[in-house]
Amino acid sequence: MVAPSGQQADEDSERLDSMTLIEVRIAPTPAQISAVRVVAADLAARQDYDLDAVSDLRMAVDEACATLVPLAVPGTMLSCRFLVAPATIEVLATVEAGHHVTVPQNTFGWRVLTTLIDEVQAVSSDGAGGGRPMAGIRLCLRRERAGG
Amino acid sequence: MSSQDTGYEHLVPLFKEFASLPEDDPRRQELRDKLVTGHLPVALHIARRFAHRGEPQEDLEQVATVGLINAVDRFEPERGTDFLSYAVPTIAGEVRRHFRDQAWSMRVPRRLKDLHVAIGAAVSELSQHLGRAPRPSEIAAHLQCDTEEVLEGLEAASAYRSASLDEVLTTDEASGHTVADALGEADNALDQVEYREAVRPLLESLPERERTILLLRFFGNLTQTQIAQQVGISQMHVSRLLAQTLATLREQLAPD
Repeated sequence: MVAPSGQQADEDSERLDSMTLIEVRIAPTPAQISAVRVVAADLAARQDYDLDAVSDLRMAVDEACATLVPLAVPGTMLSCRFLVAPATIEVLATVEAGHHVTVPQNTFGWRVLTTLIDEVQAVSSDGAGGGRPMAGIRLCLRRERAGG
Repeated sequence: MSSQDTGYEHLVPLFKEFASLPEDDPRRQELRDKLVTGHLPVALHIARRFAHRGEPQEDLEQVATVGLINAVDRFEPERGTDFLSYAVPTIAGEVRRHFRDQAWSMRVPRRLKDLHVAIGAAVSELSQHLGRAPRPSEIAAHLQCDTEEVLEGLEAASAYRSASLDEVLTTDEASGHTVADALGEADNALDQVEYREAVRPLLESLPERERTILLLRFFGNLTQTQIAQQVGISQMHVSRLLAQTLATLREQLAPD
């Protein structure tokens, strides 16, 4: 991911003051995903999202992490960042990938994600700026949901 | 047909008539009632076999009756087997599932179990009333308790496989139309899925209820609360079944 420029960083930190940012890091194995799932559900419930939304977010985070686990370089961590704003919960799950790879979007899992969550985006970086290649999924759950 | 004298022979012709009638024939309901009532002693007998294992007898009888209703609905007389040899394992299976579902997967304090039951009841009542799933704050207001307690109770709920409240089954199965619609849509949507040929048989091999729920959620675009109302189980139970089913599918679809 690209480091924010000076002004952008200021805006970001201001933006962060009124929000909750939580990061959970786990070894990229299926067994550890439950920790991320629990955090997701707890955050949404504490933000007073209705139970359908809480459950949808939990399942989506589960699905996103499970999608990323096989892409992760052994020995690295899966990071899941939650940004809780008044009207949204954003989740960014990322892993260090062995090479430049984007999560495929023609899978059953992707269908599941896009049904569960308003906004789903595959993110990736090729590590050109000196970092390592990353693959990730960004989710955005809105308090006022478009469909049902 | 079995030549044994089972005491239920007089009901055999009713099955043939029941199977021959179209879905919307008003006589079906009448026959279904007769078949269920006529075989009720079988269900009660099986329920008694599971007595004294810590579950209230009337719950067992109710679950066994649900099993019987399912058996009546699913029995296909043209297959040549007799109803009892089909019904007995179906009913016993339903009762066993009840026991399995009743088990807490970890120790949860009594207070939280009670709260969980109260929350379950509140969720279904509020869902009816609001037409959507309630928020924790709404559950708290309804139960006149603290939101924090509700959050705690919801956490306990995830340690519990299924409350008896979850299993309140309605007599009419999930409306065939919506499921059929969802199936059609699933087919179209699957066209865009890479492992289409791999996914389809997995979907088909799921137990009927799990498949219905999955299709309604991901291809019929119903919310969990809408599915809960349609299938006749609680939203929390829908949530658990969906999560389990997805995990199963994911395992089976794993590339290695």
